[in-house]
Amino acid sequence: MGGQNKKTPDQEKYQQLEQKHETKRPVLKNCIRAFWVGGLFCLVGQAITYFYIYFFNFTEQTASNPTVATMIFIAMLLTGFGVYDRLGQFAGAGSAVPVTGFGNAVISAAIEHRTEGFVLGVGSNMFKLAGSVLLFGVFSAFIIALLKTILINMGVI
Amino acid sequence: MKKLIIVTVLFISLSGCSKHESNEAPMSLVKVTHPTPSLINSDHRADDSSLLNDIEKDVEGYEELYDAAIVKNDNQILVAYKVKHLQRFHMKKIEKKLTDSLEKKYQDEEFIVSSDYKIFLEVVELHEKMKNPDYNSDEAEKKFKKIVEMQKELT
Amino acid sequence: MLKGKQSWIFNNRPAITSTGVSGGPFEANGMLADDFDLLHEDLWMGEDSYEKAHRVLMEDASRIALRKGNTEKKDVQFFLAGDLINQITPTSLSARSLEIPYFGLFGACSTSMEGLALGSFIINYQGANTILTGASSHNSAVEKQFRYPTEYGGQKPPTAQWTVTGAGVALLEQNTGQANVPVTTSATIGKVMDLGLTDPFNMGGAMAPAAADTISAHMKDLDIDPSYYDLIVTGDLGKIGQETALELLKDKGLKIDRDQFQDCGLLIYKKDQPVQSGASGAGCSASVLYGHLINQMKQGVYKRILVVATGALLSPITVQQNETIPCIAHAVSIEMQV
Repeated sequence: MGGQNKKTPDQEKYQQLEQKHETKRPVLKNCIRAFWVGGLFCLVGQAITYFYIYFFNFTEQTASNPTVATMIFIAMLLTGFGVYDRLGQFAGAGSAVPVTGFGNAVISAAIEHRTEGFVLGVGSNMFKLAGSVLLFGVFSAFIIALLKTILINMGVI
Repeated sequence: MKKLIIVTVLFISLSGCSKHESNEAPMSLVKVTHPTPSLINSDHRADDSSLLNDIEKDVEGYEELYDAAIVKNDNQILVAYKVKHLQRFHMKKIEKKLTDSLEKKYQDEEFIVSSDYKIFLEVVELHEKMKNPDYNSDEAEKKFKKIVEMQKELT
Repeated sequence: MLKGKQSWIFNNRPAITSTGVSGGPFEANGMLADDFDLLHEDLWMGEDSYEKAHRVLMEDASRIALRKGNTEKKDVQFFLAGDLINQITPTSLSARSLEIPYFGLFGACSTSMEGLALGSFIINYQGANTILTGASSHNSAVEKQFRYPTEYGGQKPPTAQWTVTGAGVALLEQNTGQANVPVTTSATIGKVMDLGLTDPFNMGGAMAPAAADTISAHMKDLDIDPSYYDLIVTGDLGKIGQETALELLKDKGLKIDRDQFQDCGLLIYKKDQPVQSGASGAGCSASVLYGHLINQMKQGVYKRILVVATGALLSPITVQQNETIPCIAHAVSIEMQV
């Protein structure tokens, strides 16, 4: 591998020169945008939660499931209409971190590979971006649950 | 962005055409209502009423929360309350504190305590319905049991 | 004829007798829309996949070049072209319908000049009378392969570049002494340069040393000064790469005016189009050169230009395996024959 550890002096020198010309990421601006857009998503989510509490027999506890489903459905529509990627370029983490970002990752991959057919295209590529989130999410949840069980049995908590 | 706004507007307008019959209940999430506690079945109405008023005073005395809706059926007392927004991080702790102190003070009663908006909403609705003389205690009890069941249900 | 270490002189001066350029909707809103022969209204181009649309782009550009050059496809000896997709299938599939003996080339975004240099060499030594050469890229097909799905809402950093949807094809013929025709006079083949950059969202920065190396090798081999050319134009360095390359060239002691040094990736789009650092892709240098620049030469704006197409020879797998980005640049000198 052309590992980053063994840079030659030439490479070092060039990278310093190149750094000078590189456009920096506008971190502060990105943070502010992410904050507002992410907050807006959560506002919509909260509105949907109240919708389910008011009109259906859901409590605050149980309303979260249909809310998540609805948010993902909205993300699906926005992805399909080609709005979500533009929103993502504007908001960055603001649209990637909420559950809608996860939905977008799955749906965009599914749309992209539609041309390769349903089984080998959509089926096998749908989770190519989101798959690692699922794997490591489930795995870390398992580890934490295991630790908690052990600690409770030992009487620590 | 446009679509997001449309969706938000849709939800706001939808929640305008509410199916709730009573007037106060739908607003109880936004406004502080301070509903008077209700009794469904009771052998000693006078005693119980003052007991419920005492409980309401106790509950609303907590500074982490505001607004409490209380209803009593036999010896079950359902206490629904709203937690102040910035105290919502400590919701579990508040619930435990409240339950412990109530159970200690009124040892003969069984308490069901909830900070859930939905439970609050339903209790206020029950209050409203019971103001109607046509609404008999059987129906009230049925609704009470439904609320208790809902409170126990988890995700 | 070999000159110096890595350059060819084409004494017979092969002529670029006609060109064909096709593009997509994003290019139609760009700066150079008038220089495209054909602009498609949507990215699908009436096909059911982006890869097929990519093939259509190449076929269109080739067909236009042949028609403008009044040449039948059976009269063309060789077809030298390539693109960025796995195993360059869009080009190979268009070669299937063109029915011209075919060399598939891969030099990433430098393919256009790789093809022009090789084509000129073959013509120069009578290996052929007529050659069709070009390169193409399709934004969605390339993004799909190298980055994320097109509808994925990831944020691209300001160093990222926008892949051009476009194809540029040139018809190269033996020089018959006709007037007012662009001819290729020399070419310099670059070597792979790797200065250890790994960020696939900053290709301009990675490719700049390759461009600078090829330009200085060209000047050294031919024993000329940058002032010999009216314009030195790079393929797709973008803002960052261009500034870096200019500084590298100054460090090497070559005097190049800021106005004399341009980049296809910065010419093709308008400033308000959301392309971050500029355009890229195999179709970028091909469509700008065979469209805009050749037109400008014919109008007499430029007499001699040096086109340096740069390519980042990475694949999605090398990026994931933390391999650095190897880059290449090929230069071809084009002059107006009066």
